Amino acid sequence: MTNETELIEQLKLGDEAAFKTIVEQWKDMVYNTILGIVQNETEAEDLAQDVFIKVFEKISTFKGDSKFSTWLYRIATTTALDHLRSKKRKKRFGFLQALGGDGDEKESIPDFHHPGVTLDNKERAAVLFKAIDTLPENQKTAYTLHKLEGLSYRDVSEVLNTTVSAVESLMSRANQNLRKQLEEYYNKNYR
Amino acid sequence: MTSKDKIQQEIEQTLQCLDGVKRAEANPFLFTRIKARMSRKANIWERTFSFISRPAIAVAIVVLVMAVNGWALWGGSGSNENLTADNANVSEFANEYNVVASVDNYDYENMPNE
Repeated sequence: MTNETELIEQLKLGDEAAFKTIVEQWKDMVYNTILGIVQNETEAEDLAQDVFIKVFEKISTFKGDSKFSTWLYRIATTTALDHLRSKKRKKRFGFLQALGGDGDEKESIPDFHHPGVTLDNKERAAVLFKAIDTLPENQKTAYTLHKLEGLSYRDVSEVLNTTVSAVESLMSRANQNLRKQLEEYYNKNYR
Repeated sequence: MTSKDKIQQEIEQTLQCLDGVKRAEANPFLFTRIKARMSRKANIWERTFSFISRPAIAVAIVVLVMAVNGWALWGGSGSNENLTADNANVSEFANEYNVVASVDNYDYENMPNE
């Protein structure tokens, strides 16, 4: 922890070595969180870069009231959700949307494969990720942080700046919604 | 086992398939890429400032600002004449249709005693 505090202090002074250490230490955590939300490896890498550039530029605003990892998770989830919102806006007003229509989304083939999933669960996980993608933002964030990053409900509540019971409720609603989505999927595709 | 039970079993297994998932690893050259992006970003600002501070560009900007100011002053006197003509038309219209009387209803300071 002292090492972490020292690193942050050095980063506040603009120390490049400290910045490099921070990137190396937290890059997988940031990348994995973003990847779970945006479900696209190229976009996740670009956004992870954005997150660390923001960290470098905004480190002076970090007061140490929360853990550094909590602050990082907040930047990562906000950046990923902002990206999804802007993507949705572009899609809504885009030319392709007008041509293609949006009625077939649920029936499209799940195509995102998380690199951390074992081979025997690959297809199943792709179906689950497709369902996760339909969740409302706060449920998706809570679910991703808990399931992919292994955060406890308390840690998730700190990232989302809410209470533990609110996270429990979010997770319960997320599970209900996922069940509904999966039921629809398997009713259509179960052989 | 009915197909409904089988579907329920599939759902349960799917919901559990992320248990014990490994963390995805970021690109090992992420820091190098971040540095490259940061220096590109800095370069854009540097180039913008160096472009603006070139004597020819700076003089051109000053001349442009002065020209806009001059146009605003000359254009302003022209539009004043138009404004006076417009005001005369509005007064004429108001007198003709007795609009002034209805406006007086909102003149609370000079309300007639009832």
